[in-house]
Amino acid sequence: MSDENVGKLIQPPNKLSNKVTVGGPGAVDEAALERAEQVIGDLSESYIDWAREDLTKIQTVFEELKSSGGDSEPLDGVFQISHDIKGQGGSFDYELMTIIGDMLCRYIEGLEGAAPKQAIEVIELHINALQAVISQQLKGNGGAVGDQLLSGLELVVQKRTKPS
Amino acid sequence: MSEGYNFGQLNALVVDDYFPMHEIMRGILKEFGVARVAEATSGKAAITELEFFHADIIFTDYMMDDMNGLELIQEIRAGNTPANRFVPIVVVSAYTEVREILAARDIGATEFLAKPISGKLVYYRLRSIVEHPRVFVEAETFFGPDRRRRELELIEENRRLEEYEYKKAEREKIRPT
Repeated sequence: MSDENVGKLIQPPNKLSNKVTVGGPGAVDEAALERAEQVIGDLSESYIDWAREDLTKIQTVFEELKSSGGDSEPLDGVFQISHDIKGQGGSFDYELMTIIGDMLCRYIEGLEGAAPKQAIEVIELHINALQAVISQQLKGNGGAVGDQLLSGLELVVQKRTKPS
Repeated sequence: MSEGYNFGQLNALVVDDYFPMHEIMRGILKEFGVARVAEATSGKAAITELEFFHADIIFTDYMMDDMNGLELIQEIRAGNTPANRFVPIVVVSAYTEVREILAARDIGATEFLAKPISGKLVYYRLRSIVEHPRVFVEAETFFGPDRRRRELELIEENRRLEEYEYKKAEREKIRPT
């Protein structure tokens, strides 16, 4: 039986609705929503700097991963940074960063804690693809170049994860 | 758009170890007129912040060193922090698998917001929390918002997931096979 069925139901004091009113000066309207979207647009240039910082960090951790022979600690580091990359790109119209970051996260999740030599090569390809997206400023789906990057990565992942 | 909400008296806490998220969330919440936005880079830092900052709503990342988002929620719901145990908590994360959303729900999160975010998505979550305050459940192994969501909310949740899957499929469709 679920907690909801056996537990006590409590109507919490709704402090939020006491503080939130409807309308009046400062209320959120279409213009405020547009401005909020624009906040992200205005940060686009900063995004490129943040992405470059992330790529520098991921490259450093990747070098550690390579020299350690695929240890779990740097592997986790690569995962965390690619996870951050995944979480940002789409907000700034760098959809490919989100897609490739997600692909890398999923690939690492499938490794179960350590990266054999072949996996290190696959990870490197993902990092190179992320570098390419930023260096060529491939916004949106990246057009033909984006297609090539993604299909190339997918092919490599498929090949390397197929049982031999 | 019908008359919008006024968040001019609201205090929000943003917890994320990724600095750019602070800038994004701060910018968005300021445009919504939120009175004060405090920031912390870990669950532990958030608890320290909560000692003097009365947050009306908390946006927290999932994965962080030095106490992650779920551990922070657990501490707040258990009453181990100065925060109001019922404070609405939105998990903002790039972890978008169903298992992670369910884990957040099962630890006592109020809402889940998938990264990458947009201004509109943040507003919709705020609006949802204001319009659909959740009853809390206190049981031996759980303290948090009632997880049996209303049918309409589930439909909305499914719609969002479908929209996400549709967009993903569209992206995949444009790629050569």
